Amino acid sequence: MTDYIVSINDNKHLLKILSNNSIELNDDNYEVELSQLSNFSYLLKVNNRVYQITTEKFDGQNYTFTIGGFSYNTTVRTSLEEKANEYLQNKAKENGTEIIKSPMPGLIVKILKQVGDNVKTGEPIILLEAMKMENEIRASATGIIKSISTKENSSVEKGEALLEIG
Amino acid sequence: MIKKILIANRGEIAVRVAKACREMGIISVALYSDADRNSLHVRVMDEAYHIGASVAAESYLDGDKIIALAKKISADAIHPGYGFLSENSNFIKKCEDAKIIFIGPSSKSVKMMGDKTTARTIMKNHNVPIVPGTTEGIKSYEDAEKISLEIGLPIMLKASAGGGGKGMRRIDKIEDLQKAISSAQNEARKAFGNDTVYIEKFVENPKHIEVQILADKHGNYIHLFERDCSIQRRHQKVVEEAPAPTLTKELRAKVTEAAVNAAKACDYYNAGTIEFLFDQKESFYFLEMNTRLQVEHPVTEAITGVDLVKEQIKIAQGDVLTIKQEDLKIIGHAIECRIYAEDVDSNFAPSTGKILHHSLPSGPGVRVDCGIDILSNISVYYDPMLAKVITFGKNREEAISRMIRALGEYQIAGVTTNIHSFQWILNHPEFTNGSFDNNFLDREFIPLLPGKWKKELDDKYEHVAAILSALLKNKDSKTTAFKRELNHDNQWGKENYD
Repeated sequence: MTDYIVSINDNKHLLKILSNNSIELNDDNYEVELSQLSNFSYLLKVNNRVYQITTEKFDGQNYTFTIGGFSYNTTVRTSLEEKANEYLQNKAKENGTEIIKSPMPGLIVKILKQVGDNVKTGEPIILLEAMKMENEIRASATGIIKSISTKENSSVEKGEALLEIG
Repeated sequence: MIKKILIANRGEIAVRVAKACREMGIISVALYSDADRNSLHVRVMDEAYHIGASVAAESYLDGDKIIALAKKISADAIHPGYGFLSENSNFIKKCEDAKIIFIGPSSKSVKMMGDKTTARTIMKNHNVPIVPGTTEGIKSYEDAEKISLEIGLPIMLKASAGGGGKGMRRIDKIEDLQKAISSAQNEARKAFGNDTVYIEKFVENPKHIEVQILADKHGNYIHLFERDCSIQRRHQKVVEEAPAPTLTKELRAKVTEAAVNAAKACDYYNAGTIEFLFDQKESFYFLEMNTRLQVEHPVTEAITGVDLVKEQIKIAQGDVLTIKQEDLKIIGHAIECRIYAEDVDSNFAPSTGKILHHSLPSGPGVRVDCGIDILSNISVYYDPMLAKVITFGKNREEAISRMIRALGEYQIAGVTTNIHSFQWILNHPEFTNGSFDNNFLDREFIPLLPGKWKKELDDKYEHVAAILSALLKNKDSKTTAFKRELNHDNQWGKENYD
């Protein structure tokens, strides 16, 4: 029997798998039945109701689901993983560096700061053009620009690291 | 008689036009770029031709190539859809010179209306009320500052060649004006190849109400009532409906009359839309005319029973309008939700990838106009709109409840969409009571990003999501410790997989 902690929208749910068809969620018991329709679609029966769920992203910890027009990004960890994660998060806070990532695919039009410049939270640092619109990417932390890993007129993917504030 | 139409567009609108062609027994022809080799619009037409590279400038915007293709394949008409070349008067002129029927207005009308400053001048001269401001582009910063202070802040900067929010800026403080002019001009130059920017008074909390008109080449004009498109985020329409929920009979009569006058003022024929801003005191002002079919045309089709694309084709081949104004009645209420490939919580960043799973809503009062299917590629090259869900009911309440039901049935995997966010909009009291204005989303929804808006919803499924997460993780851990990334094309959350 394993305990899982599921985080959804800042809520944490404690879930115990009791047997193949029964679980305990936040102290309530549910009868469950799971069948896979395709790589992207599941049927989940919870007590007397069947839900058809579209799924997309799996990496053993993070999942994306759509159920009845509602989307969920969930993170599920065993209690041990949850503790390890909290430890890592605290450590990152002590180090205090922030990586600015591109929020969307696009073209870097202008980099407004140089390595060594001071920036404040909310200050525009990069102009990114996507779908013919210019978007300002703003600093999400206050500090000094430690490194810039992109250059003007280069195209970037969503989630690509652009610069580091420390 | 038109026998063969080249549809110079892609996505849902190309599919929509092809359906009308099929019903009329007209041969439909698709063109496609590299990125669209497998797109839905290519699959549904009678013929399909490769036109060029993925970048729109080398494919869907290359008018000369498109006209050459039309000649080569003996197409007698071109339907431009919306966007791309639809409002490009040079392109229309070239069609006219090449004796290819352009399914839309004359190049002359488009030129008059396409230049917003000219359009404002014409409307002013024909007693159609316009928003206070300039009828000419900004010539110098000093002039701009003087005019801005004269009409009073806040003001709007708008691109004369504009549309879709590009080259548009709101100015609240005069200090911001100079910087805003250059960035608006810059954006306008990039988007439209024309950097003329003009000044309009900013109308506080207006509603965006637009009137659909049809006119033939014989001087007959009718209107097909109005649509309310006030649910916008950053000038991008998200939800549209017909009729406008708060418009009185008297105002409807006035605004539809103004719309017909506006169409007459530019010798218009084919389908067109006149957009108006309604202020809180129920005065209305001409905003602009869209000289093409609109994205949101299906709501008008639903409440009037008229197939606008078929009417466009008939008008283009010279038929006399058979619909009389007195025959038209509003027969119900319709709503449209635009489904975008975007991550609402990452500041509406477009989401790219391959569609892996797609199942559409159906049932009473539901229509879906869609440009994608399984394995369609959603690329950075084009607009991120995937589909439009339109619901119709005997009244607004029924249309809304059908929409909520239909969106619950919409299943899609491969890209992130805005479907969930409609649950917030459609259930919001300001939406249900009709009091919303253009700033509703920017004022009420944007501050709830990221994610806080979800907490305002009556969440029925969070426990289900929690259970499924744990069951899948449990199953995975029992087999092997492995990573699954099912969609290699999806850039979404890429950083998690390194």
